[in-house]
Amino acid sequence: MRLFRWFILRRLLHEPLRSVTTTLGIALGVAVVVAIQLTNASSLRGFETALNTVSGRASLELVGAGIGIDETVLADLGWLRQYGDVAPLVEGEFVVRREGSPSETLRVLGVDILRDRSFRDYHLVASAASGEEPGPRELLGLLLDPSSAILTAKFAEPMGLAAGSTLLVQADDRSVTLKVTALLKDEGPARVLDGHFVLMDIAAAQQLLQRFGRVDRIEIRLSDPDAIDRAEREIGPRLPAGLTLQRPAQRGRQVENMLAAFHLNLTALSYVALLVGLFLVYNTVSVAVLSRREEIGILRALGVTRGRVRLLFLAEAAALAVVGCSVGVAIGRLFADATVSLTATTVSALYIATAAAPPALDWHVLLLAFATGVPLSLLAAAVPAQEASRVAPIDAIRSTDQVDARAQFPLRRLAAPGALLALGWWLATLGPLGGLPIFGYLSAVTIVFGASALVPAILVTVARVLERPARRLLRVEDWLAVTNLAAAVPRLSISVAALAVSLSMMVAIAVMIGSFRETVIYWVSQTLQADLFISPGSRGPGSADTLSPEVIDRVTRSADVLAVDRFRMIDVPYDDSRIRVGAGEFDVLLTHGSLLFKAPADARSAMRRAIGRNAVVASESFTIRHRAGVGDRVSLPTPSGPVPFEIAAVYYDYSNDRGVLMMDRERFATHFGDASPGGLTVYLKEGRDPEQARLNLLRAIGAEYRVFINTNQSLRTEVLRIFDSTFAITYALELIAIVVAILGVSGTLVTLILEREREFTILRLIGTGRSQVRRMVIGEALLLGLVSQALGLIVGLALSLVLIYVINVQSFGWTIQFHLPWAFLVQSSLLMIVATAAAGLYPARRAVQLTMRHAE
Amino acid sequence: MRLARWLMLASVCACALVPARVDAQPPAWKDAAPGRLLSLPADHASHPDYKIEWWYYTGNLEAADGQRFGYQLTFFRIGVDPAPLNRSRWAVRDLFMAHLAITDVTGRRYRFSERMNRSGPGWAGASTTDYRVWNEDWQASLAAGGVHHLVAAADRFGIDLRLSETRPAVLHGDRGYSQKGAAVGNASHYYSLTRMPTRGTVTFEGRIFTITGQSWMDHEFGTSFLEPQQTGWDWFSVQLDDGRDLMIFQMRRADGSIDPRSSGTLVAPDGSVTPITFESGFRLEPSDIWSSPASGARYPLRWRIRAPAAGLDLSVNAAVDDQELHTEQSSGISYWEGAIDVGGQMDGRAVQGRGYLEMTGYSGPAMGSLLR
Repeated sequence: MRLFRWFILRRLLHEPLRSVTTTLGIALGVAVVVAIQLTNASSLRGFETALNTVSGRASLELVGAGIGIDETVLADLGWLRQYGDVAPLVEGEFVVRREGSPSETLRVLGVDILRDRSFRDYHLVASAASGEEPGPRELLGLLLDPSSAILTAKFAEPMGLAAGSTLLVQADDRSVTLKVTALLKDEGPARVLDGHFVLMDIAAAQQLLQRFGRVDRIEIRLSDPDAIDRAEREIGPRLPAGLTLQRPAQRGRQVENMLAAFHLNLTALSYVALLVGLFLVYNTVSVAVLSRREEIGILRALGVTRGRVRLLFLAEAAALAVVGCSVGVAIGRLFADATVSLTATTVSALYIATAAAPPALDWHVLLLAFATGVPLSLLAAAVPAQEASRVAPIDAIRSTDQVDARAQFPLRRLAAPGALLALGWWLATLGPLGGLPIFGYLSAVTIVFGASALVPAILVTVARVLERPARRLLRVEDWLAVTNLAAAVPRLSISVAALAVSLSMMVAIAVMIGSFRETVIYWVSQTLQADLFISPGSRGPGSADTLSPEVIDRVTRSADVLAVDRFRMIDVPYDDSRIRVGAGEFDVLLTHGSLLFKAPADARSAMRRAIGRNAVVASESFTIRHRAGVGDRVSLPTPSGPVPFEIAAVYYDYSNDRGVLMMDRERFATHFGDASPGGLTVYLKEGRDPEQARLNLLRAIGAEYRVFINTNQSLRTEVLRIFDSTFAITYALELIAIVVAILGVSGTLVTLILEREREFTILRLIGTGRSQVRRMVIGEALLLGLVSQALGLIVGLALSLVLIYVINVQSFGWTIQFHLPWAFLVQSSLLMIVATAAAGLYPARRAVQLTMRHAE
Repeated sequence: MRLARWLMLASVCACALVPARVDAQPPAWKDAAPGRLLSLPADHASHPDYKIEWWYYTGNLEAADGQRFGYQLTFFRIGVDPAPLNRSRWAVRDLFMAHLAITDVTGRRYRFSERMNRSGPGWAGASTTDYRVWNEDWQASLAAGGVHHLVAAADRFGIDLRLSETRPAVLHGDRGYSQKGAAVGNASHYYSLTRMPTRGTVTFEGRIFTITGQSWMDHEFGTSFLEPQQTGWDWFSVQLDDGRDLMIFQMRRADGSIDPRSSGTLVAPDGSVTPITFESGFRLEPSDIWSSPASGARYPLRWRIRAPAAGLDLSVNAAVDDQELHTEQSSGISYWEGAIDVGGQMDGRAVQGRGYLEMTGYSGPAMGSLLR
């Protein structure tokens, strides 16, 4: 321990910059991993907590197919009573708008107040209005007034609401005034969704949401919770068609499956930054070992064993890693706020409505940080530590030995990288594993390692190729820079590889996103043909929002309007995940609109033939995710039991990766009972100005209804806005990886300079100017940057192919047309080269200082 | 006068909670009126125009092996909003409550269970065309041959009984119009079937007993019943072995006095009725106080009923001490309702009998104040 303190700690303190950059490298890597873990957990756990708290003591639940359960079935479910308490539930969302602040979505839980007490515990805030400890009276008060609601104190108090206040809300396209009956204490169900939770009686909730005749779930609280298996076995077969018995956790699992691909992508991305951080650990320990060969020699001569020496350097790495991980967790928590808000839009726009609650650090995130950060750092330090243990005492003290500079590079060394690249190719051809592109990621990792293993060969080749032109065409210091490069290949390879890897990821992602964006732009231009799009003013991601019949009527009768497609989308469980089932007017769509079809060749007539039959048009992602194609039958759960639908055609849809099945409105109404549209697609008569028509429609609909009307142009802008916000996080993560990599380049150059102390001294002695030394070092940095960037571009393009054609297809089921974002690539390449050259500034200063010290 | 249960509900649905209606002429509940005559079996069915209605069965039963039980099965309908504006099926026009209690007199054990539901998709209700009132799987209905069929079961106890109508119904007050308070409209329509031979099964602690015995049925409906100063009451139903049936009750007031509208009815075997008025000077004397460990209420378990004008002098003993029903879940009010043993003098001759006693207002808020 004394040895460690004397030999390692002192040194770490003496070289604060090196210690700090390394720690920062690890910290950033860990921070990104932690942030992403927290982010993933926040969207999922937010949902799960909501689920658990809201499910209360229900051990089983009945769910319907499509748009809920016809409540009249409850009359025939009296026999469920023998298993325990049974209660229906209506769930929905509405929006609260206030001047000067963003609108907020609240989740309504409509319960049978008379029965709910056995399912959930509520505690009310004693209020001035009731003036007494609240009892069941307030809850029963909900029964009598269809506008009364119980809000959470957490939501209501900052808004200045108390029992007795009123609150104007938007439910679908209607404005409704709610009366606040009481406030829930910040505990139990009130904690759900950060307080954005409203309790109402089921009758009031049905009126608020205008969803009469249907309930969303029927909860069962077993009198004997241990008999759940038996109850499940017995109840299931007795249920009428269209009802499914499940445990509440089942919904959580479906959401988890739905989000799995999205989360895996983020996780994979976050580990890139950590990987790059580990290269940095390798670098730092290497620097330590190199710069202190003499001291190691002395230690060895004093009788310190090889094992102890190895241990000393591993301890150094461990010390750096522990500090780095600790700092990383803290930074990660800060990052998480940013990443949560970056992903929240995406998650709620595409998947589920979940409050982006600030994620809480818990022990298993800490455990993850340290369990990955520390051992991996040790692994990265193992090679240089081993090298340190091999230092021969005498040679080191005499400074006669140096790390062998192998300019030679045997051809057989190409076998390993070649094999890795081939393996990567093969892995890319494999299908998904459990619906996730596991082999795709393995392929990407293999390609990265294969390419990294090629770096030494590339560096040697570059050095050889450049040596002659550099000597002839450039100054002597440039030539020296090139030869130095050749001399330090083993050391440099790691840094170049690290930089190249992060750059290649950047390039790959840029190409993928660029291609994706172009594809979406094309798709939007081809499919968004209608002039106006009308949606309810609440516009939550929930599938329950619908338009009032009066609104539809007023739009349809407008003089500007040529045709209207009334569409509806609902969430349906399918294959242990959730897909969307849509209803549209195929006739209107075929006459006025357009879809971009993938198959079959005569898709339009196939779609026309689907009218009046049990046939659907499937989105591409559905067919890929669920391995189905034209002519196949898919079985959908409907209120009257499973119904097989034939896939008539496949169309491209980039708005949703969960898979969409569209059927004609009439079919939807037949099977799901209700086709109240969630939105309208409006085609205007020839020559009408969309903006003017929009204003006319708003006037016709009147102030009593709140709707959004988007013109074609504004919707296109909106689509791209959502698209860009979706990928903002991707760029942010990559940027961090690159920052770490540049730290690495700088560190490597410092290593090299320390190693070549004597060489610099000689250079200075033979008359090399200070600026020449500087230029030489910066030249080396520039060269490294060039090579890394070039390699990064090539590997990145290869990776982008894997991303686009393997990972993306398997994760999301989208066909993306390959497209090179030239401008971005050129700009970022130039920026990177400048950045790496700049990374040479500090090593250059070190070099100049060194030479001065020795020259004096 | 079996008001207890509905008072508790009324307390829960205090009028202040009823939403302000914007209608010009808000729909209202109908008041009991003297001219309305009762006709059976049609009036067994529900009367949804009135705010409050209940069907009330109590009885003393015996199994073949001599094991003795008492039972109570009550269905309540409490009007909340005569015409809800919300067209949801879950909108509450009436609340339906039901109480089931069984006393194992031999084993000195008592079990009870309550149900509270809205009508919803048919969870609870009362038919207006024929006699059928139900709350989930508890039900009272009129089967063929004028037989009342009662079915109710809770956890490990329940009843399945058939009750015959042997005597004509006793119409209380003025041909079934029963004045309850000084104020106009504080009245109800009220009749009783005082002696119903009963057979069927009782389930207790999971064991099924085949039983025979006698039941008593009350059916009452109206809109407004009690006045604020009325704090509670003691109500007796007795079937004597000389073939006569007795109903007698007193309403206690806040100042400790007895309300002059307290009264009784003596029913002869042929169905003829003798009223026992307050003015005739009857007395109900309590003794033997028992404290409920659950609610803290203090109930007298022994009574002396003296009505000299009717030649009555009876002593009443609770068959089991603890026959208290707690409704913490719904209203927080408790009451004592249980089987009793009766013995004493009737017109100078020794008589014995069994019956049921209801005591309210011994704990919690004053009954009358809850109902305005």
